[in-house]
Amino acid sequence: MKKFLMLVMCFMATCPHNAQAAPKLVHVTGEVVDTWCAVTGIMFAAGTAHHQCAVWCAVGGIPVSIKAKDGNYYMVLRIEDDEQSVANPRTIKIQSHEVSVDGELVERDGVKYLFVTRVVDDKGIVDLTHGDYGIVPFGN
Amino acid sequence: MKTSLTSIIAAAAVACIAQPARSADGWGIDREKVVQLEVTVVDLACALGKSCPPDCGGTKRQLGLVTADGKLYPAVKGATLFAGAVHDLIPYCGKKVMVDGLLIENPMMQLFFVQNLRQSADQKWQPAEAFEKHWTEKNGKAEEWMRADPVVKQTIAEDGVFGIKGLAPKP
Repeated sequence: MKKFLMLVMCFMATCPHNAQAAPKLVHVTGEVVDTWCAVTGIMFAAGTAHHQCAVWCAVGGIPVSIKAKDGNYYMVLRIEDDEQSVANPRTIKIQSHEVSVDGELVERDGVKYLFVTRVVDDKGIVDLTHGDYGIVPFGN
Repeated sequence: MKTSLTSIIAAAAVACIAQPARSADGWGIDREKVVQLEVTVVDLACALGKSCPPDCGGTKRQLGLVTADGKLYPAVKGATLFAGAVHDLIPYCGKKVMVDGLLIENPMMQLFFVQNLRQSADQKWQPAEAFEKHWTEKNGKAEEWMRADPVVKQTIAEDGVFGIKGLAPKP
């Protein structure tokens, strides 16, 4: 019995890598981005310069994330009462905006998934990058 | 000697036919890894303890790939430019499929880019281009879907290429 308990404690201490953390309530402020371009860094993917591409990717069904001010990415899987997370018309319309949201965070296997319960604020696009970068990709 | 050489060549040929070569292309992305995995396709929100509509929500919800050891990766990208892999994966909702692509092991967020898929090891890889096929059926042929898409065109017409009304590129 003692050996069994030790094994259980050992297992809990090492924690399997695919464990899913319990959901927690969070408040996130950051820029709405297209997950693929922003996380991979394959191109400059922020603000006005990348807005058109962010719209393409959102319409194309690539997940939308919020890049928080601390650099963390939160993949959005729901926005308020709307559970559509592929080409959602509302998230297409707020690409590149700076938003503040309340939501439920579920972390699993290195990804922060966010179920937005309330959009608290939408400042529109505040990251004016086109002066330095033009239109990314492909220019005008 | 001749017989054994012939046998080796024949065995190699059979092996090639039985195990079609990997075909995913590297993109030179930081922390990318070319991988082939047998996975189960899941509705991401459902797998994370939220609602579970039938058929993984059609093509309206993001999908994930669960590996044999229980790891969950979001399938964020398909082989069509600027498009995801939902149309490719939705026929396999709740089922196993083999995917060939790039696993991006970024510590900020792990992602999977599906380039090809097949149902079993004896089949040929099929490119994950279902988005373009569906788009063309709906909208007609276009050189670049993303510039011809009606939702994109309307969004850019309303808000401008920089997303701010009245802000336009210099001529």
